[in-house]
Amino acid sequence: MDFLFSYIALAEVYVLLGLSTNLLVGIAGIFSVSQAAVFGVGAYIVAQCLMTETMGFVPAMLVASLACIALNVLVTLPSLRVSGDYFVVTSFGIQLLATAVFINWTQGTGGANGLPGIPPPDLFGFALESNLHLVMLTTVAVALGCLAFRLIMRAPFGRLLRAIREDELAVAAAGKGVLQAKVSAAALAGAFAGSAGGLYATFLSFIDPVSFDLDASILLLTMVVVGGARTLAGSIIGPFLLLALPQVLTFIDIPTTIAASARQLIYGVLLIAFMLFRPQGLAGEKL
Amino acid sequence: MSTAYLQASGVEVRFGGLLALRDCSFTVDRGRITCLVGPNGAGKTTIFNVITGFLKPNEGSVAFQGKSLDGLTPQAIVATGIARTFQNLRLFVDLSALDNVLVALPAQAGEEPIGAIFRPWHVAGAQKRRREEALATLEHVGLADRAHEFVRNLSYGEQKLLTVARVLATGAELLLLDEPASGLSAGALEGIMALLRRLQSEGKTLLVVEHNTRVVQQIADEVLFLHQGHLMATGSPASIISDPALAEIYFGGAI
Repeated sequence: MDFLFSYIALAEVYVLLGLSTNLLVGIAGIFSVSQAAVFGVGAYIVAQCLMTETMGFVPAMLVASLACIALNVLVTLPSLRVSGDYFVVTSFGIQLLATAVFINWTQGTGGANGLPGIPPPDLFGFALESNLHLVMLTTVAVALGCLAFRLIMRAPFGRLLRAIREDELAVAAAGKGVLQAKVSAAALAGAFAGSAGGLYATFLSFIDPVSFDLDASILLLTMVVVGGARTLAGSIIGPFLLLALPQVLTFIDIPTTIAASARQLIYGVLLIAFMLFRPQGLAGEKL
Repeated sequence: MSTAYLQASGVEVRFGGLLALRDCSFTVDRGRITCLVGPNGAGKTTIFNVITGFLKPNEGSVAFQGKSLDGLTPQAIVATGIARTFQNLRLFVDLSALDNVLVALPAQAGEEPIGAIFRPWHVAGAQKRRREEALATLEHVGLADRAHEFVRNLSYGEQKLLTVARVLATGAELLLLDEPASGLSAGALEGIMALLRRLQSEGKTLLVVEHNTRVVQQIADEVLFLHQGHLMATGSPASIISDPALAEIYFGGAI
């Protein structure tokens, strides 16, 4: 049971990340490959706040979200000037830069060794230590995230973002502010990724740069592609499915040294196969 | 002297060594259909881009209702009451016809995330009214029964009508239409000409780029003849079309 709870809690953290990535990449068409970097910043901020006992879990989450909003707006700004392929390269650079900071800034991040012993989240003076409690926390967070995502998709803002993805110039000609809309989308995606980071750090009680590197960013994109772009269902199915894969691999009798690379291999094959044969994913629209 | 409705004065646009517009000046009168004609490369679309703020001229300026448009963003220019279509349509093909129109409606509740998330009922209520508005706009151009169709399932003629619906949705008074009649079948052509005249009778002012001389003759009150980025002649459709010198330029007199 405990095992199932930890799987669900982790998958739900990734659902928040899936929503973030879907919003930015799927809906607004800002092809970011640096979402894991923002995720990491959220995780490190919450970890540091709790470990140094500067503040409780809720204010720490708030600080992390605000910081990630600012960060994501900043890293997305190039997309307002350079479009398409050029932005992917810029975003790639940002991700590499972030990984370098995560690894080398040992005082803040613990470097490659990571940060062990992050305290569990506390709500109103009550520490959430059991996996059941943590699942309840992540479930509430995901429910709120899904609600926000759905409301946005149904509102004129969602329609505006879709229109921007299709034709920015036509949106400007219709008298709409492309800049404000893109910045808003980036801010929202940042808030989602930042709070996912905080949940991740407190849930695992240990974080290191490997969770926030380029592979992680690509895993997020794979989740969106496999689950389905631009839909709520897609953002939920993708993470649950892809995170089940390592669990399934443990049932197959292969050496652990191979398991990690086998997983990467399968993720890669899935990404290619879906792009070629089912670009709309399991429950989404064509990316 | 009364100020012109739309006035372009001495507009110059250079693309590297190419002079796309040179000392281009003209006026457009309120409530009239003005056709912009001229051979390919005369600068017709370029002047559209200048008026709507997509292109900053190197020299000269444009004024609308006596107010300068210089330095305004495309967004701000739409807010003054000018909207345009594109020659290559630029519709949102993955959205429905209705959504294409809805995007262009001004000042909507829930157009930013805070309102969308924290005032869902207010947004839903407002959306319902805006949908009615958008449907009425579609009805106006004769696309009411196609409202929920995706753009890619519309015929080319219907797509052209939809671009007109989209500029109407912005609430603009001055409509800049880039080749609204090109590539249309005879039936669709009649339809769009009737629509343009109807818009005029409702008080809109139209500046239309058009190649088809028959269309120009039928709809234009005034014709502006552009050649090599310069206003070469202006007058009634009949006087422009019957001018042998202009016909020579227009129909490739260089041969």
